[in-house]
This record gives sequence, C-alpha cells and structure tokens, in this order.
Amino acid sequence: MIENAISLMIAIPLIAAVFAFLFGKAAKYVALIGSLVPLVISLQMFQEFDKASNAMQFVESYDWVPAIGVKYTVGVDGIGLPLILLSTIVSVLVVVYSWGESKRSNQFFALLLLNEVGVLGVFTALDFFLFYIFWEVVLIPMFFLIGIWGGPRKDYAAIKFFIYTHVASLIMLLSIFALYFSYRTPEGLRTFDMLTLLGATGDSTMFSPMLLNVIFFGLLFGFLVKMPAVPFHTWLPDAHVEAPTAGSVLLAALLLKMGGYGLFRIVMPMLPNVSENYITLMAIIGVVSIVYGGFLALAQKDLKKMVAYSSVSHMGYVLLGAGALSVLSVQGAMFQQFSHGLITCVLFMSAGTIQHTAGTRIISELGGLADRMPKFAVLMLAGFMASLGLPGMCGFVAEVSVLAGSFASVQPHMQLYVLIVIFGGIAVTAGYHLWSMQKVMFGPILKKYLDLKDPHSYELLSMSILILLIIYFGVQPGTITDIMGVAAEPLVKPFIAMAQTGVI
Amino acid sequence: MYQDYAYLIVGLPVLAFVLTIFLGWHLPKGGGFFTVLATFAGFILSFGIFREIYPNNEIVHQSMHWFASFNAGILIDPLAIVMLLMVTFVCTLIHTYALGYMEGDPGMARYFAEAGLFTAAMLGLVFSDNLLQLFIFWELVGLCSYLLIGFWYRKPSAASAAKKAFLVTRVGDVMFLAGIVLLYTNMVKLNLTLPDGAYLLQFQTIYDSLTLIPPDQLTWIAVLLFGGAVGKSGQFPLHVWLPDAMEGPTTVSAMIHAATMVTAGVYLVARMFPLFYAAPNALMVVAYVGGFTALFAATMGLVMFDIKRVLAYSTVSQLGYMMAGLGVGAAVGASAVGVSMFHLIGHSFFKALLFLCAGSVIHAVGTNDMREMGGVLKYMKWTGLTMLAGSLTLAGFPLTTGFFSKDEIIVTAFEHGALGLGWLPYIFAVVAALLTAIYTFRLWFLTFDGEPRSDYHKHESPWIMLGPLVILAIFALFMGMPSQENFYEYVGNNFEHYGVDFEELAVIGGHHVEHGAEVHEPFIIKILPIIIGVGGILIAALFYSRWKRFDSSMITSERDPLRHILLKRYYQNEIYTLWFAEKVVYGIALVSNMIDLKIIDGTVNKISAISVGFGGTLRKVQTGVIQNYLTAIVLGLAVLLILIQLASMGVAI
Repeated sequence: MIENAISLMIAIPLIAAVFAFLFGKAAKYVALIGSLVPLVISLQMFQEFDKASNAMQFVESYDWVPAIGVKYTVGVDGIGLPLILLSTIVSVLVVVYSWGESKRSNQFFALLLLNEVGVLGVFTALDFFLFYIFWEVVLIPMFFLIGIWGGPRKDYAAIKFFIYTHVASLIMLLSIFALYFSYRTPEGLRTFDMLTLLGATGDSTMFSPMLLNVIFFGLLFGFLVKMPAVPFHTWLPDAHVEAPTAGSVLLAALLLKMGGYGLFRIVMPMLPNVSENYITLMAIIGVVSIVYGGFLALAQKDLKKMVAYSSVSHMGYVLLGAGALSVLSVQGAMFQQFSHGLITCVLFMSAGTIQHTAGTRIISELGGLADRMPKFAVLMLAGFMASLGLPGMCGFVAEVSVLAGSFASVQPHMQLYVLIVIFGGIAVTAGYHLWSMQKVMFGPILKKYLDLKDPHSYELLSMSILILLIIYFGVQPGTITDIMGVAAEPLVKPFIAMAQTGVI
Repeated sequence: MYQDYAYLIVGLPVLAFVLTIFLGWHLPKGGGFFTVLATFAGFILSFGIFREIYPNNEIVHQSMHWFASFNAGILIDPLAIVMLLMVTFVCTLIHTYALGYMEGDPGMARYFAEAGLFTAAMLGLVFSDNLLQLFIFWELVGLCSYLLIGFWYRKPSAASAAKKAFLVTRVGDVMFLAGIVLLYTNMVKLNLTLPDGAYLLQFQTIYDSLTLIPPDQLTWIAVLLFGGAVGKSGQFPLHVWLPDAMEGPTTVSAMIHAATMVTAGVYLVARMFPLFYAAPNALMVVAYVGGFTALFAATMGLVMFDIKRVLAYSTVSQLGYMMAGLGVGAAVGASAVGVSMFHLIGHSFFKALLFLCAGSVIHAVGTNDMREMGGVLKYMKWTGLTMLAGSLTLAGFPLTTGFFSKDEIIVTAFEHGALGLGWLPYIFAVVAALLTAIYTFRLWFLTFDGEPRSDYHKHESPWIMLGPLVILAIFALFMGMPSQENFYEYVGNNFEHYGVDFEELAVIGGHHVEHGAEVHEPFIIKILPIIIGVGGILIAALFYSRWKRFDSSMITSERDPLRHILLKRYYQNEIYTLWFAEKVVYGIALVSNMIDLKIIDGTVNKISAISVGFGGTLRKVQTGVIQNYLTAIVLGLAVLLILIQLASMGVAI
C-alpha cells in the first residue's frame, strides 16, 4: 500500500513538468518517466482497491484554509478510478505518440504533464474548492497547446475554447458558491466538502426548491458544455480542427470526460432532490447529441472534424445512460466514458498521422493510402470499427449496456428514446466511418501519395497499445465494469424507490 | 471426451488467424495451411462431438459469467451440431481450394488470416448459448465479410461493395439489436428467479419464458430479430448487398455469400423458432418475405450475364426458400426447422460447389462474362461435370439432394395453403422453382455448351482445386436420399431438449391449426416438383444449348420494358444508393450541418459579441500574443481569489 497514493500521483507529473520545461531537448524522457510513474501508481491503486465497496478509498484530507472551510481532500471510488486509469494510460501514450515533436519540445511535454495533473486532480478532488482549481488548471495547458502548436486559425480556436468553457466554469463556480453559502455544518461552520454538500441538498430547510434548481442548472450547464452536449458543442470542432494531434487526443479522451464525471459525481446525487423532469431533459439531450452529432459527422469534409463530431455523438450515450437511471445504463454510461476515451485516441491519432504524412485531412483529396501504409491502415481500420460499435471491442459493450439498460429503465418514454437512437444513430454512425475509411484508405492510390510510407514506429506503437486495450476491455469488460456497477447502485437506488412509490 | 475441447472449434481458427497474420508473410502459400488445418481440426472435433451426443440424443452446454448479467457459453444441440459439421466441412474444402486459387496473390497471408477469422466467427455464432453472444459473433462475421469482399481494396468497386455489404447488413443488425434490447427488457420485467448458472439471454431461459411474455411483445421481438436475419441472409428488401459482394475473390463468395455466412440469418430464425411460433404474425411475415424473395431474386437470375451474379441471385432465392420453409412452419410446427435446415445444409454443399466451379472457370477463362465463354466443357471436363452435378441439384432434378430438400419445403408450403393460412408462399415457391431450373441451366449451357465465343485460355485447373469440387459434387448429388428422414427427425426434435411445448405456444400464438390434420395432396401436386425441375431444364436447353430451337429474342426484344426492368435490377441501385443514401441521408446531414453552423454556432457568436461588447474589439483581442491570454487567465484566477476572500469575510461577519 502506497502512502498518499493520490497526492503522489498528482505531484509527480507536476514536478516532472517543471523539470521537462527546464531540460530542453531531453524533455521527452522526463515526460515519459513523469507519466509512467503515475500509471504504475494508478495500477497499484486498482489492485488494492476494494471492488465491492462504494465508499471513498485512498482518502487523504488536510486542512487548507480552515477559516473558510477549504480542505485538501482527495479520494476515489468506482466513479473516479476508471477515469484515473484512463488518464494515466492516455497520458503515457500521448507522450509516446508525440516522441517526434521538435517545436519548443520542452514546453510541449511540460504542458502534456500539466494536463495530466489537472485531470487527475479533477477525478480525485472531494472538496469543491480544490475541484474547481483543478478544473481551471486543465484549461491552461490545453489553451497553450492549441494556441502555440495549432493550425492556421489557432487564435480564434484557442480563444473560443477558452471563453466558452470558461464562461461555463464560472457559472458552475457560482453554483458552487450558492451551495457553499446555503449550508452550515451542525457545528455552524461552512464547508466546501463535496460529499457533505451534495448530501445536504436533500434538506429543504437549507435549500429552497427554487435555489436548488438554479444551482442544479448551473452545475449541469458547466458539465454539458464540457462533454459537450448539443447545443453547447460548437466550441469542440473548432478547437479540434486547430489543435495539434496531442492536444486533440487529450481534449477528446480526457477533458470531455470531466463533464461526464461531473454528471456522476455531482449532478446525479442531486437529481432526487430536484424535479424529475430534468432526468427526461438529460436523456433527450443525450439522444439529440447521438443522432444529430452522427449526421453532423456525416456531413464533414475534414477527417478530423468528422472525428470531433463523432465525439459529440458518442458522448451522448453518457447522458442517455445517466438519465435512464437503471444500474445497467448508468454503468454503461460510465463505461462509455472509459471506452470512448480509448477509442477516440486512435481516431485522432489516425487523423493526425494522415495530416502530417499526406499533408491534408480533407477526405476528398485523399485516396488509396492503405496501399502505402498497410500497418497504419490496419490500426486505423480497427479504431474505426471500434468507434462504430463492433462487438469484441469496448465501445460495443458500453453502448449495448446503455441501450439495454435504458430500455429496461423505470423511466417513461425511455423506450422511445432508445429506439430513436438505435434506428437514427447506429446505421449513420457506421455510415460515416465506412464512407471516410473507403475514401481515405481504399481504392487506387493517388499519384501524389506514391512516396508515402508507414508512419514512425512510436506512432504505430501507441496506436497498437490502444487497440489491444480496446479489444481487451471489449472481451473482458468485467475487469472494470464491476466497480462501475457498484458505484452506479447508490446513484440509482433513490429512483427505484421513487418508482415503487409511484412518484415517477 | 471431444466435448471438453469444444472451445477449440473456435479457438483453433482464431489461432490460425493470429499465426497467419504475423507469420504468413514469410511462409509458402501465405501460411494458408494453418487455416486449412485449424478448420479441419474443427471438423474432427465436431464430428467427435456428434458421435458422442447423437446415440443418446444429448446436448453439450458449458457456460461462464461474462459481465453484468450476461454470460459466455457453448451450446451444442442437434441444430448447432449440423451447422458445425457443415461449416467446418465446407470451409475446409474451400480453404483447400483457395490454396490453389489464391496462389500468387501478394495478399495471400491476409486472405488466409481473414478467412480463418471468418471461420471462427461463424462457428462461434453457431455454438453460442445466448443471444448476445450470438449477436457478437454475428457482427464479427459481418466484419470479416467487409474485409474479404474488400480484399482487393485497391479496386474501387471492391471497396464500395464491401462498404455496401457492411452498411446494408448493419441496417438489419440495428433491428436485431433492437430485438435483443426489447427481449431483454421483457425478461427483466418478469423478475425471474434464475437457477445457478442461468442467465437472462440464454436460449434455455428465453424458451422457458415465452409463455410469460405478452404476445404483442413477442411479435415485436420476433419481427425485429427477423429484421436482422433479413439483412444477413439477403432477404428482400435488404438483399442488395449480396450480388455486389461478388467483388471479392470467388472463394470468398463461396464461403461467405453462399455456403455459410448468409445462412446465419436462417439459423437465427431456426434457433428462435419457438419464439416465432408463439408469434404467428411474425411467422407469417417470415413466410411471405421468404417466398417473395425466392421469386424476386430468381427473376433477376434469368437475365444476368455475369456468371457469379447469376449464382448470387440464386443464393438470395434459395435463402428465400429456407426462410419460407421456416415461415410456413405455422402449419407443421417444429418439424419445419428440420426441413428448412436440411435445405440449408444441402444448399451449402451445392452452392459452394457451384461457386468454386465458377471460380475454376473464371480462373482459367479470365472473365466473368458468360457471353465470352461457351464450349468450356471441352477443355475443363472435371469442372464442367462437377458443375453439372451442382446445377442438377440446384434445379431440383429428381433424386438429387436439392430435389428432396426443396420438395419438402414446397410440400410444407402446400399444407400451409391447404390449412387456410395463405397460398402465396406456395405459389411463390413453385414459380421460383421453375425459374431456378431455367436460369441454372441457362448458366450451364451458356458456359459449357456450344462453341467458344471468345479466345480464352483453355486449361483445366490444378487438382488442389478440383479435389474439393469432386467431394462437394458427391455430397451435392447423393447426400439427400439416405439422410433426409433421420435429419428431419433429429433436427426437428431439437427443442425437446429444452422442454418447449409447441402445443402451449400454439395456444398463446392463437394458431387455429390442429396438428396431425390430414392434408390431402392431389397426385398432380406430388409430381409437380419433378415436372418443374425437368421442365425447366428442358426449357433452358431449348433456348441456350446446342439443341437450341428458340432464341431469347423471340420472346423479348431490346425495348421490352420488363426485360429492361430486370436488367436494371428493378432500379434498386437508383433507389437505395442514388436516392436514399445520397439524397435523403446525406441531405439530412447537410441540413444538420447548416443548422449547426448558422443557427447554433451563430447564436453562440452573437451572444458573445453582444454580451462582451466585443463585436469589433474581438479582433483586437485575437492579437495572437500569448501574454494577453495569460493575463486573461491570471485575471480570472485573481477574480476567483477575491471572491473567496469576500466569502471568507462573509463567514467572519
């Protein structure tokens, strides 16, 4: 058992970031070590984690600003742990994928590490104040990754990303303050403690329904923008199109998951205390995201933009599963976060590799690349298949869990939503994946691409590892879905009770 | 003994897949012998298991927990074992043939890897003990067909055909998935207390629960599952991918689009037959869709000149028979499963044979177009004769396998009509049988008879290709007679292992049929199949053989609208691809994109412009100087800290 495992896991990349910044050309080695150590720690935590318990584990709590009730409290449960694993895995692989980065490489790798610090903090913080700080910390590296290493319209994209998500964060912050100022502990003190505050939202003497609804919407808005859900998604394609590959991968694989994490950690525990109509609202937004996002992806001419919209579509499953409130659907939604995190890495890496080998991502200008890049073609095809929900890969397990769980939900109307998704979303999803695959990789090779060859081995390596993980979790989802199921139960229980008493 | 190693039936081809994909490039023949041996070992295992379970009429069932409330398991019952035997046997022969056929292709290793994976997926589908696992392998089969149809991916038509196959079957899969979800929901609602080791989506549990699920739900589930079968088995209206799928190597056509993969849909309906039986409306849909497909596809088979396309339409048509054979089971109960499966098995032999023969011809002649063939028999005796065997049995020539199996379906369809359940399936089946005989021998005469119509290469294929043909020809001709009665009984009684009570299901479904009611078959009905089979062959001979008495131009002219429609294949391409996919679906996508850019993102930009008062100043903000942004961030954090400070003062006050 490692003492202070979580703090160590957060601190090491932070320290490594500083060293990477100072080390110049050797930064990548520092980054590799600085991301491998947290991976080892997180794996060890996974080993030691009590998988049958839904209590917080590895908890560390220290007073920070006692005057205003701010503490440094971190801990994980079945909601956070899978995302921690995801973050540590993806961080290592992004470093590996970016091995050849030469422009300001010390800053680049330092920012990758800083990003890891931020997301790990978000997924472990149990104090709202701390949570918010980490939440904002994540913005900084991403902002610079887009702003310095981005494409031609990087300034527009960076500022749009920043303002959009920052506005959302501020609204979330106001909600947090509202929570904070409405509650006093039995001793008459204020606290930022997340679990205490959320638990108190059921107390109508402290939280008037009106106030609680406002708070709820403020938080929900913050998370929906982050996910992103329709109609708050338009910052995403712009950010992705301009971001460098590593930035896109981190953005899609980790930053979006913060929104979903917020749903499970903060929004869902509050749900029983606000109007049950919001559940329907969440599910509807999820369904619209899935179907509308799918059609948007189909319309794109830029491969990376298509992948970006596919993220909107896939993250819709998280909302739908969360809104459907059955154990299987919530567990599926959590697993969708995890699996989309792995799959989208491959997709963005594919788009990135095509960009820097062929020099363009416009689908209609590409053709026949498989002829010259056979290994890359196999990996990209595997990634696309995973993304369209091929069984044997983790995306399928997640989506089926969400769909089956939602359909069997106690919620009314949920069956209709599921049918809309099944008939409106799945075939279209297959459509844009296969169509783009055919255009880009198959057919006769275009003359101008005759000199292409398979990309660097480190790019292939990181993609291969991801594919192996995707297949592993597709075949053995129980490894990680079991702890998600345990975590999902307390979230769902109040609603089962409400359904039995006929409230919903 | 053998049953303890049942998992190896799938495991060995998977191993072959891994070995060929990594080592095949360095081995002779692309490491194809791995795939051949693995498949053959699967046959030995299957045969061993068959020997163990057949005498005492047992089944094999192994299962373990997978995740959540789902399991992974192996179920080998009569229905599964006949499929296992057929798939391993036919695939072994096809893979062996491919060792010769694919010789010299630079992608040989990839071919055998994908073929091995395909074999594994198909076998896994067959021996699944629950619906979810079946669906998983079902999709893997789809993946393999995508890979194999697109094997020559540099050819645009192959890449398109692969995509089309995956997408069209995906439409069916979507319905299948919806069916599973609906079934799962209903099972959850029953609040069953399951015995140890039982899971919700296991077939045993499903069969047991049929009487508890509301009948209207059963109908929906059955129709949705059938939707999956329609996609995979190329039934109308999702059959369009199958003829295009001929873009792959001919061995792929034989393996996937004739003998095995397309039978998965029929197998699904057979597997779920108790469910369909409890939902007679769904069963009716199966009968009509199957019957219509049989006829519809046969009409297109009449006019094609591409030898593989004729066979492809013939496959669609024959699959229609199998579906119809299950659908008309409303009249006879579970024995319909035996009848339909017998046609499935027989068809696998003779259709694999026909495709491999066609492959042999194409290999030698170098074209698919029958107009450039003619007189090939003189140069390819073995190919021609084995193809004749396949053609005879497909046409339903008396005493061949195809004759018995098709006849039995037609008889069942007749009973279906005689019992007042509708005559259409019978009429479809009979007319389609006549057309089948005609187009089959049109193909044979055009290819092998008459004089060469172009200067093609004249040589017989090597024995590694001819050997499998001879073996398949023997089975295609003679398998039927000795085995049919045992087969009907063995497979027809499949569901007794699960205690399925068809009488009870009939009550739920509201069948008004009394079983055992004698259906009188007039003499003319009994001999009709013989007349049709022989008659069709004669008609084809009169038009296309050396004894030609008529010419097709005597009945149709270039401007004949019917002929035009058939050649245009009922304008399917225009409707499916040009209109639906490119106009409707892509149109919706473009409109969505417009909404996104103009309305949603437009609103966002407007709001930011108004609220921040940036408008013109936004450009100034975008100075691109990082320091400015950094200042913004620091400013934001400062505001935050001030707020906190205020907050803490608030506490103090």
